[in-house]
Amino acid sequence: MPGRITSLFRNLLRKNTVEQALDDELQSAVEVLTEEKMKQGLSHPEARRQALIEIGGVEQVKEDVRTIRVGRALEDFARDIRFAFRTLAKSPGLTAIVVITLALGIGVNTAIFGIVNGMLLRPLPVRAPEQIMFLAAEQKGASLQTYTVSYLDLVDYRKQVSAFSDLFAYEIALVGLSAYGRAEEIAASCVTGNYFSALGLQPTLGRLFLAGEGEKPGEAGMMVLGYSYWQKRFGGDPGVVGRQVLVDGKPVTIVGVGPKGFGGLHSILEMDAYLTLNRGLGFGQGPDGFGYFRGVRLLRAYGRLAPGVNLTQAQSSFDVTAARLAGQYPGDDKGITVRVIPEKRARPDPSVASIIPLVASSFLALATLVVLLACLNVANILLVRATVRQGEMGIRAALGAGRGRLIAQVLTECALLALVGAAAGVILGQFANNLLGSTIKQVLSNIPLRLEGGVDWRVFSYALGIAVFTGMIVGVSPALRASRANVNVMLRETGRSDSPGAGRHQLRNVLVVAQLAGSLVLLVAAGLFVRSLAHVQRMNLGLDPDHVLNVTLDPHGIGYDEPRTRGFYRELEARVRALPGVKSAALAFFVPMGNVQEPRGIHIEGHPLASGQQPPQVLLNRVDPPYFEMMRVPLERGRGFAETDNATTPRVAIVNQKMAKQFWPNEDPIGKRFSIFSPTGPFTEVVGVAQDGKYVVAALEEPVPFFYIPYAQDYSSMMTLHIRSAVPPESLIAPVREVIRGLAPDLPIYDVETMKQSLWGMDGFFVFRLGAVVATVMGLIGLALAVVGVYGVVSFSAGQRTHEMGIRMALGAERQDILRLVLRQGMVLVMVGVLCGLIASWALTRITARLLVGVSATDPLTYTSVALVLAAIALWACYVPARRAMRLDPMAALRYE
Amino acid sequence: MGEKRTDLLRGTLDLLILKALSLEPLHGVGVSRRITQITKGAFQVSFGSLFPSLHRMEEKGWVEAEWRSSENNRRAKYYRLTPPGRAQLKLEEREWNQVVKIMTAAVESA
Repeated sequence: MPGRITSLFRNLLRKNTVEQALDDELQSAVEVLTEEKMKQGLSHPEARRQALIEIGGVEQVKEDVRTIRVGRALEDFARDIRFAFRTLAKSPGLTAIVVITLALGIGVNTAIFGIVNGMLLRPLPVRAPEQIMFLAAEQKGASLQTYTVSYLDLVDYRKQVSAFSDLFAYEIALVGLSAYGRAEEIAASCVTGNYFSALGLQPTLGRLFLAGEGEKPGEAGMMVLGYSYWQKRFGGDPGVVGRQVLVDGKPVTIVGVGPKGFGGLHSILEMDAYLTLNRGLGFGQGPDGFGYFRGVRLLRAYGRLAPGVNLTQAQSSFDVTAARLAGQYPGDDKGITVRVIPEKRARPDPSVASIIPLVASSFLALATLVVLLACLNVANILLVRATVRQGEMGIRAALGAGRGRLIAQVLTECALLALVGAAAGVILGQFANNLLGSTIKQVLSNIPLRLEGGVDWRVFSYALGIAVFTGMIVGVSPALRASRANVNVMLRETGRSDSPGAGRHQLRNVLVVAQLAGSLVLLVAAGLFVRSLAHVQRMNLGLDPDHVLNVTLDPHGIGYDEPRTRGFYRELEARVRALPGVKSAALAFFVPMGNVQEPRGIHIEGHPLASGQQPPQVLLNRVDPPYFEMMRVPLERGRGFAETDNATTPRVAIVNQKMAKQFWPNEDPIGKRFSIFSPTGPFTEVVGVAQDGKYVVAALEEPVPFFYIPYAQDYSSMMTLHIRSAVPPESLIAPVREVIRGLAPDLPIYDVETMKQSLWGMDGFFVFRLGAVVATVMGLIGLALAVVGVYGVVSFSAGQRTHEMGIRMALGAERQDILRLVLRQGMVLVMVGVLCGLIASWALTRITARLLVGVSATDPLTYTSVALVLAAIALWACYVPARRAMRLDPMAALRYE
Repeated sequence: MGEKRTDLLRGTLDLLILKALSLEPLHGVGVSRRITQITKGAFQVSFGSLFPSLHRMEEKGWVEAEWRSSENNRRAKYYRLTPPGRAQLKLEEREWNQVVKIMTAAVESA
């Protein structure tokens, strides 16, 4: 229809001409009619009046004509937006409050969602990431699942499982890297040769490993640098490729740099570099060569599904292979099954993968509540404004604006507010996210955390969705109010400030009650998390973390052999003990809630394993004799270690209560023997029982079996020196560093931190503190929003009733009566709100019950104290406007319009 | 305002306007008067309905407008049927006759 298209252009582009023509046409119609009436004998003014009546209002007819024009909708929209901008710019204070409120709500959401997105939703930056599956090997009946496989099993899986186009694996290793005369600890993945090709990655520089590379004995070690580590450490120097560096004291060649944006397969840890598998323990060119044992499972295995294969087929093909291997190698593979899990659903580790979505959705729910509260607040403000603008709406309706137009205009204004709020919110959220990220990185400085909360399309569309949602919520009630526009009522009411009739403010009251209830839920959640944190901090860890400094070293990294390392540690301990302020010192391999652990399969003497069972895995610690006294680990029975327990005397161990109970129930564990090597020994004799402690995850852990063996009888090169001090432990850092430099100038100091800092790590209290902090921030925002809401409504309605109060005072009401009048309205709102909030909290917070430790989701103390605090603050918000009303001058109030 | 159910049947107004314009070009008030005349006073179209209809037809290309002097030497906007407008008139007349026939048959059958 070319005619309509021409009209569209004419209507939109030559609007003035079109408008002028319409005006002319109607003027001429009025004149024609006037003349007609004059011919019937009417005077000119009367004829003109009649003519106007017959036309039925020139402006209304014009508006009717405009309505049918092509492009009208577009034109209206543009005008609404222009008008909305003008209206908002005219009241900058109000606009700012609304935008800030929305920005807070949307910002909290963006920040939380950004983290969830980064950890759980964002796909790996590899080719066809949906095909990547995690292969979770599980050991039947084991209490401690590691989900890892051995290299020899992986080789068999590759040969026998057909559902995958590639099977590959890695193992995380913290290694010492010496290059350009500087040594530091880095996080690396020791990867199978096909790791990069299976993921479909291309090098930034040089080359990546080739399939099969680094998996044969005797091959030279190679390294690929992670892109960001290459930038950070080598300044992006292309010259590093081909260079030889030392990794843990052994020569390794840098062959290339990985792709930008790829930080390894672990969803939390960022890899600095990738080594060929022969550098890792899982393959084993170490002194033991134990990589060749099928039973040593240290690799995290992944597979890329072959085209056209689904999860079920992949799983069944693995079931067949696992069963076949169990038959073939009953000693090692009996009871081993492999679960095929899509990579995303195995983050960060299959053992916690089920609880992470719960954590994520709990916090998203809290964040949504915050944005809802923000919406309610804004809706309230806009409602007040809608009341004030009723006159304007009335005039518009009188000039021929239809209901639809009025609604559209109000909605446009709200949508604009929401969008501006969302834009500010995304910026704020990004800021909060970075702040959170850098705080976490600071607290967990020893862990190469990956926390990229960047805004991608997911975060963006999430924020946009929230903005649209808020725009709707916020706009719907003022819009409906506008749409009920009754010209007569509206025009008549303009400028009058009558006392409101019953029900007039009902909607606003409901909003305030909802706000109070919502913020109470947020505060209760915050209170529960805080109480949970407090409980965790008071928990008995089985040792005394106060005034302890931990120094972790690994002389193997600079090429020390066992005798030299032992000599070094002996000398170090002696010199540190001599430092002023040091009370005692001890060496240990394992730091509770730390990053290094070593589970060992154990064989109890006289208790052969049932066929098809793997030896139970138990965590161990190698310590020197002063350890128990120094760390204040209470010994319940037997003796501690002595200097006489050494390489030439019988192997001894101290077990914890749980281990004693589990393996020698109703027996005296002292004198019993077990082996950490094989069913036939060599055996270790239990000489003491230590109190149970927390070892892996401070908060969630039931007692688990644990044992200690003397360092003199079992060697490892990486050890932690615990120093108990009389002075603040931080003050010892510098002198201890000095001692180490004096002994071994080249030795990288892997980690120095106080025991307390260490406990704040990932497996300690950190998660609880993070939860408490985030929940508290959201609770406080919710509280602030509710207070503003209560204050706004009470003071607005008090203001509206000024005239009424003047009359009351004139009729003899005391100031106290006025105070009571205003306060009563607020108090009813607060009481109802708090009550609703308590019920809602009771219903909602039980979802979080699994995330709480030591406090029930219906903890009465939390509920009562939070309700009291909220009620007190909300009542204060009522009292302020009430007092203002009380101080009114009756005369001024009466004259008030 | 003396408006009698101009939305009697959807499209009735369009048909009446086209019919009114089929004899000679008219301005807005003229169309209104002509409709009153040809319906023997049964319909008085309100200007609130008439002008939007005229403008819509103009955009559809059924009528063209032209400014010229009226009988009293006033400038007025005259609407004239275009060939597509005439075709539309034929179409609507045919449809209307059909509706009348069907409705008559239906009413008398009872």
